[in-house]
Amino acid sequence: MTQAEIKLCSLLLQEHFGEIVEKIGVHLIRTGSQPLRVIVHDTATSLDQVKKALCVLIQHNLVLYQVHKRGVVEYEAQCNRVLRMLRYPRYIYTTKALYGDTGELIVEELLLNGKMTMSAVVKKVADRLTETVEDGKTMDYAEVSNTFVQLADTRFVQRCPMVHIPENSDTGPSPPAPSLVINEKDMYLVPKLSLIGKGKRRRSSDEDAAGEPKAKRPKRPMDSKEPIPDDGIYWQANLDRFHQHFRDQAIVSAVANRMDQTSSEIMRAMLRMSEVTTSSDAPFTQPLSSNEIFRSLPVGYNISKQVLDQYLTLLADDPLEFVGKSGDSGGGMYIINFCKALASLAIATLESVIQERFGSRCARIFRLVLQKKHLEQKQVEDFAMIPAKEAKDMLYKMLSENFISLQEIPKTPDHAPSRTFYLYTVNVLSAVRMLLHRCYKSVSNLIERRQFETKENKRLLEKSQRVEAIIASVQATGAEEAQLQEIEEMITAPERQQLETLKRNVNKLDASEIQVDETIFLLESYIESTTKRQ
Amino acid sequence: MAGNKGRGRAAYTFNIEAVGFSKGEKLPDGVLKPPPLFPDTDYKPVPLKTGESEDYMLALKQELRETMKRKPYFIEKVEEKPDIERYSKKYIQVYKEEWIPDWRRFPREVMPRKKCRKADPKSKSTKGTDRVSSLLNAADVLKKIEELEKRGDGEKSDEENEEKEGSKENKEGDNDSDDANAEQEDYDEEEEQEEENDYINSYFEDGDDFGADSDDNMDEATY
Repeated sequence: MTQAEIKLCSLLLQEHFGEIVEKIGVHLIRTGSQPLRVIVHDTATSLDQVKKALCVLIQHNLVLYQVHKRGVVEYEAQCNRVLRMLRYPRYIYTTKALYGDTGELIVEELLLNGKMTMSAVVKKVADRLTETVEDGKTMDYAEVSNTFVQLADTRFVQRCPMVHIPENSDTGPSPPAPSLVINEKDMYLVPKLSLIGKGKRRRSSDEDAAGEPKAKRPKRPMDSKEPIPDDGIYWQANLDRFHQHFRDQAIVSAVANRMDQTSSEIMRAMLRMSEVTTSSDAPFTQPLSSNEIFRSLPVGYNISKQVLDQYLTLLADDPLEFVGKSGDSGGGMYIINFCKALASLAIATLESVIQERFGSRCARIFRLVLQKKHLEQKQVEDFAMIPAKEAKDMLYKMLSENFISLQEIPKTPDHAPSRTFYLYTVNVLSAVRMLLHRCYKSVSNLIERRQFETKENKRLLEKSQRVEAIIASVQATGAEEAQLQEIEEMITAPERQQLETLKRNVNKLDASEIQVDETIFLLESYIESTTKRQ
Repeated sequence: MAGNKGRGRAAYTFNIEAVGFSKGEKLPDGVLKPPPLFPDTDYKPVPLKTGESEDYMLALKQELRETMKRKPYFIEKVEEKPDIERYSKKYIQVYKEEWIPDWRRFPREVMPRKKCRKADPKSKSTKGTDRVSSLLNAADVLKKIEELEKRGDGEKSDEENEEKEGSKENKEGDNDSDDANAEQEDYDEEEEQEEENDYINSYFEDGDDFGADSDDNMDEATY
């Protein structure tokens, strides 16, 4: 783990779970797996708090545990999983786009709670949806569970590993930690549930007394009488599946940009066909015949088989090699090469970063070196058709920023500079790693800046919240317009302006975080796909 | 290197012009300080993407952040009592729902010994403390859960009710309380032994600790 990643993890944990969890989580990320007592000792936190923090981390799948010899349980933080918290909004938004509001809320609940049973999710989501629809209408459990089943079928949600109860549980003391096992077969199997009922609307009177959990109690015993049929079967959002979807989207839009809408539709059809047949981390899809692709094109899409074949040939001939031809049977067999596609996307990202940071002429040099693999300085100057002095300057600038690397090839064993070739090259993998590292740093900076902005204006924010709360409560009692206006004027014009500025800044910072994460996703996918291949 | 001093340009074993300096040009001084914290940029950053989906995601992100703070998973630092009772506190009251983890999925040692997590004093006082403590013995609860599973009456269903159910369970299960108590004692003994052992563990851990500390310091310095 690099310092930048740890820093980002720390900020994310702190923002989502508070300082104590952050302390424990970061400690675990730094040190690797550790037993409870060592954590307590090293972090100088009370045992009770460490336990709580661990519970939270385990619940959210951020920490895994393992029983070692002599019954010691060791806890290990999942740094990469912690970083995924940055992407939560995107997961939720994607589900909304695919499965509507119900899907959105299901995934949101799963992400907010780490893991939940299906019945709990369905109930919660139905309740939440009921609150949003107009009075008198309610949301059926059945409808929500249908969406849930869809999500499970398309693998956007999956079962958590189950608690394995050993056969001879009566003998000997129970183990210090439950052993969790994944049953591949059941991963996406939805338990047969007959969830009948409707979402309940929270009464406003309940809400007033909400400060006390007691207020909710009277309703509960009724619920508890029903047995929970899926007790112990927990579900979580399948982030890998989401990543697969993001990757496919990126490829489709890249093809749309490069060629045209039709080719991107063909690409989309091909990707959809391979969704089930190809695992998310495979370097390329199973071969798809042109006939198959023709059949699975969306119905409203009017292109003839001949045009399709032309498009496929075009795609296969494209130098970026998103699509490859693997055979001639069945009207031509085609595969999608994910490795190549991700590499192209990552390189495009690098190029655009250089273009925006160093200008288009630097980008030209970069592309040149990338294309020719190894170039001497003199050759760079000549090929790029940029005056030697400027070309050197640009080259060195990119070299010092680690986008371009230098390879020495000595003619004699003494490595004398005058008898050595200096070749400039682009090592894409290391440049991407470097860029990724910078992205992590940027996000950390963005978060810190946002926290600073909010902290600076804490009093003002509190005041506005207070005023809003007062307005709401006065409104509830049915106050006059003039009265409301009076309360509103408690915030002066300059204050209002300051609030506006703050809001704009925070929005900008938040939006940047989301968009940097898109780049992070691309770069990470590329690194993952290339390192796996080697 | 020292010998090279004063002999000027001739000291270089390669053609200085190759790196872009003409003959007789003064070489730049060595850089002895870190680069500026906010360096000037030659190019302005491109504007952010905007659009409906971006806006929605932004709203989601901000909402998510607020919701997270209200979840029981957000553990706040125990803050010292403010000297002045703020009037505003009445309005900005954060209501946190209770969270009782499914202990079957957690290692036994992370279970709190005392009352469950967000123990509120009211409910605590209403119950006999001895009963509570025996209930909270980890082994005991696990056993109860197993029993319940066997019975399959699902009475324990609702998570929020676990605590109540537990006490009910206890009343029912009085006949096997002897047995349970014995087990509890066993457990405690085991625990004690563990603690003794762990003293040695933590003694050796000191070396580690030192390393970790210095690591921390370094971190603070760099950021």
